[in-house]
Amino acid sequence: MRPKKSGTTTDMKQTQKGLTAQEELKHQEFQQEAVPHINSLYNYALHLTMNPDDAEDLVQETYLKAYKFFNSFERGTNCKAWLFKILKNNYINKFRKNAREPGKVDYDLIKDFYHTIKDVQSDTTEAESDFFHSLLHEEVYQALQSLPDEFREVIQLCDMEGFTYEEIANMVESPIGTVRSRLYRGRKLLRAKLEDYAKKHGFNTDNGD
Amino acid sequence: MICNKAKVLMSAAVDGELTTREEEELSEHLSECPQCREEFQDAKNTKIIIQERLVRVKAPKNLVDSILKMTTAIP
Repeated sequence: MRPKKSGTTTDMKQTQKGLTAQEELKHQEFQQEAVPHINSLYNYALHLTMNPDDAEDLVQETYLKAYKFFNSFERGTNCKAWLFKILKNNYINKFRKNAREPGKVDYDLIKDFYHTIKDVQSDTTEAESDFFHSLLHEEVYQALQSLPDEFREVIQLCDMEGFTYEEIANMVESPIGTVRSRLYRGRKLLRAKLEDYAKKHGFNTDNGD
Repeated sequence: MICNKAKVLMSAAVDGELTTREEEELSEHLSECPQCREEFQDAKNTKIIIQERLVRVKAPKNLVDSILKMTTAIP
């Protein structure tokens, strides 16, 4: 075998998988940066489509696109936010632009998820009679689900996914001030719904008594 | 500051998204308004409840596998 000059042929050198070193690097970086966010993306997709099959398709397509255009991802920025943005665009193109309806909403399946979770997580040590703590997963979920889309989405992105207002503004393509006011109004609506549930549990939510 | 403005700021305050100036204004108001203090506590609780109660589901294994496979197979 002829000795190679160092550095000149590395890009073309094939690894065991048949990828060049450059491709291998991209692959590794993608695995580290993008792949760990599958669960978050799947949940976001599930909330957008309300249908597990559509959610799977959406996540799959998002990763395909993200991998293809991974070079355009600005290194050092939030990869999760970048992926969410791609997913959101994909969702709009798929379900809104072509006026294609998302698949039938599978409420039972989604309800089952929350029942499973509730069973697993109901051992928290909350002895407080605080009405907030009396709420069940499903009730919080239903309350959130009953909000208009634009409110629900910002609450999810902020509280569940931990994005900053700036990142959310970029995802929903609205100014930061709009994100801020949607969060305020959405939470106000949500609180009212949650208080309704609490009252059903027999908790008095009025101040002072 | 009037209570209504404080309520608007509270939502952003629980997210740590206030400017320094707004933060000062809000805490000044909270120090003198017990009702808004209570309201602020509720605002914090609401966020905690959403975070605690809306637990994430895991992506199906076949989806994870296919994404891993896809990113290995395509250059």
